[in-house]
Amino acid sequence: MEEKAKTAQKFCGNCGSHNAYNYPNQVFCTLRFSKGKEPIVQTLWCCEEWNPSSQECYCIKEAEKKQNKR
Amino acid sequence: MERDDFIREPVKHIRIDGKLTVDQLIQQFRNSGSFGAGRLSAACDIYERMLRDEKCTVFLALAGAVVPAGMRSLIADLIRERRIDVVVSTGANMVHDAIEAVGGHHYKGHWFVDDYVLYKYHIYRIYDVFVPEEDFTKLDYKLVEIYDEIATESNGKSLSSNEFTWELGRRLSDSDSILRAAYEAGVPIFLPAVRDSEFGFAYWLHASRKTSGKLLLVDAFKDLPEIVSICKRSPRNGMMVIGGGVPRNTVQSAALASKKGMDYAVIMTMDRPEIGGLSGSTLEETVSWGKVKSAANKIMVIGDAMIVFPIIVASVLERLGEDFKRAPYLKPKGIGGI
Ligand code: SF4
Repeated sequence: MEEKAKTAQKFCGNCGSHNAYNYPNQVFCTLRFSKGKEPIVQTLWCCEEWNPSSQECYCIKEAEKKQNKR
Repeated sequence: MERDDFIREPVKHIRIDGKLTVDQLIQQFRNSGSFGAGRLSAACDIYERMLRDEKCTVFLALAGAVVPAGMRSLIADLIRERRIDVVVSTGANMVHDAIEAVGGHHYKGHWFVDDYVLYKYHIYRIYDVFVPEEDFTKLDYKLVEIYDEIATESNGKSLSSNEFTWELGRRLSDSDSILRAAYEAGVPIFLPAVRDSEFGFAYWLHASRKTSGKLLLVDAFKDLPEIVSICKRSPRNGMMVIGGGVPRNTVQSAALASKKGMDYAVIMTMDRPEIGGLSGSTLEETVSWGKVKSAANKIMVIGDAMIVFPIIVASVLERLGEDFKRAPYLKPKGIGGI
């Protein structure tokens, strides 16, 4: 259950607009880019335009792992 | 033909010792003259003839992912040394060249891997070569900047795909880059299916950005007068074809449009002719269209171009020797070598 709740949390790293950039800490947001905003955002950040991605990836898990190591 | 004509030259058996050079091995293949060995030795002879013919323009048609697989420096060197005069490529091969030019890499991987795990790690697979997604993303980001710049400079005027690659090469500094080498050597690079690659995706990003001013315009139809004129002005034309598809047909169709037909042709492919696709079509079939001359020096080598092409180049360079200099028949002029 806890695992499910975790994946349901919204991050850039599970948003449909993200692409890998500085893996795993930062992603490239195509939506922000198209709006002329700074496209490189933190994987564990999120904005109001979050949209679901079609398939899960490891970005969040890996970014969290890296964050916990610090 | 008389009976004796069929049994004139006996097969000489291949002899190998520990000191054979690449070209000496190819000479052994020629002695046998059989199967793939015979075809490979014939391909070396034809490429050598193309290079020694001072009135021949040599086209390289490039399809299949040979650049990410490790053929990048080889092709850049051939361009710089003018062993190639014109390149016609898939967009993807030049994208992979540009990826490395802006600091990205291709990695040795494996074909036996869980592809869904790769997906989750944002790693793309090209058979046994891996490319991290961020290397594409970083290139896209850079390309959009370049597109903005070119669009501003060209001020609404459309570019041929050759002018487009020239503009890219102008902006790259990596000396191992094919695009950069072509820009410096005045060798045209045509990308007839430019949209079908990351160059197309980067265009979509460039066009979708609300802050973008002018849009880059690339018009592949503009390639035609350029490439046909090259064939027309050149007394003889030869093609080295890796794979097939759009690049092969673009080259041989230019030879047809110029009412000449290719004088030399080497095709390296694994494709089959029975399904009617161009990539596997035989050179004899190509003769029926007038794209290759009936009397042309021509051979199709059935094999993996990653193995075949470097062997051909090594053998022919050995024959030509270090002092061999070749000047292109058509001297490069302005933008894109045209
Ligand atoms: S910034 Fe917003 S739209 Fe962009 S990836 Fe993050 S959540 Fe998605």
